[in-house]
Amino acid sequence: MATLQKTFAVGLTIPDNEAFTALETLRRIGVGVGAVRRADVWTFDVDAAAAATLGQTIATIETVFNPNKHELVERPGSRPIAGEVWIAPHDETALPSVGGRVIPGVRGVRRRVAWQLLDEAGRIVEPAVLEHAVETFLCNPAFQKAIR
Amino acid sequence: MTARVAVPIFPGTNSEDETVRALQAAGLDAEAVHWSRGGRALRAFDAFVLPGGFAYEDRIRAGAVAAHDELTEAIVAAADAGKFVLGICNGAQILLEAGLVPGTGPIGRPTAAFTPNRNGGRFLCRHVYVRLGVAPERIPALGGLPREAVIPMWAAHGDGRLAAAPDELARLDADGYVAFVYSDASGRRIPAPQGSALDCAGLTNAAGTVVAIMPHPERDAWTFMQRDGAAKLRARGATQAMLAPSGGSLFFTAFAHALRGVVAR
Repeated sequence: MATLQKTFAVGLTIPDNEAFTALETLRRIGVGVGAVRRADVWTFDVDAAAAATLGQTIATIETVFNPNKHELVERPGSRPIAGEVWIAPHDETALPSVGGRVIPGVRGVRRRVAWQLLDEAGRIVEPAVLEHAVETFLCNPAFQKAIR
Repeated sequence: MTARVAVPIFPGTNSEDETVRALQAAGLDAEAVHWSRGGRALRAFDAFVLPGGFAYEDRIRAGAVAAHDELTEAIVAAADAGKFVLGICNGAQILLEAGLVPGTGPIGRPTAAFTPNRNGGRFLCRHVYVRLGVAPERIPALGGLPREAVIPMWAAHGDGRLAAAPDELARLDADGYVAFVYSDASGRRIPAPQGSALDCAGLTNAAGTVVAIMPHPERDAWTFMQRDGAAKLRARGATQAMLAPSGGSLFFTAFAHALRGVVAR
């Protein structure tokens, strides 16, 4: 059976303490940044027959998504959007389940953490600023990779 | 003169009390230092022991935020001046994130990390033994340890699997950076319970002045903490016996022995 890749971002609608801590730390180490956005990005290898309803399934089973505090956004592709970097372990493998729960039609899933940095005016920072943040704080190259 | 040892507390640190007590029991003048006191508060100390816990809730990565804290900057400067630094569990993760251990790259650019345990980062909580992986002379900070010392400890971590690039791991192995390996009670090396590379339980730096160890020696420092119930049964009802030093105290007495040599100079 043919499989497709579908990617969803799960971000917080309530204040994101981890993003706030990242913002404070980046400022402390001299990275010029006005705001930080963070999301868990889930990329699914899914049977074509189950692909159309995957978003609804994820929203319904509530293992990685809680409607009281998250928003679920389907991404147009399986790569980071402009100004974003994904952090993942070097040895990442596609897992057969999500939070221990098998989703019908899903063959494998990868979780990455997406970071997007904004300047004081709310614009996406220059690539060099994002790169500096990745090298000094967001990614530990000993076991992680930055997907751009 | 008794060496003064600071035990820094970051938001989320949770093992400072027993660490301070274990150091005091070894004859050291140990004191917990709250992060709000800032890096200046650390200047008067001879050595530092970063305790376990979940500094800054392990946000971003275990130890990553604390590695950039003002307290850690002060500790990095002290380590650069040759002062002894130990890190236990989360304290070890902080030292690796800060680049102090193994210290094979620039400060702030880690070359190794204690990463999520195999099986998806499942928390490991069990009694373990670790064996000194190098000659005692290789680690001046623990210079009082006997050769191939075996120390009982408690492992309690979700991120204790050493990981690094293959060439870096080869270098750590060949050049004696692996301070402790997991072992059985007789000292025979065993596979690390969480999949740590090189069966590594603890790393040191090139000078042997900074040591990062994942299991907790302070949690097996008195008889009442032992896994083996026999000694506890023998000591039941005898408070003094229950409070007698246990195997983990060896880690701290070795540290105290090493510091006596430094302070006497």
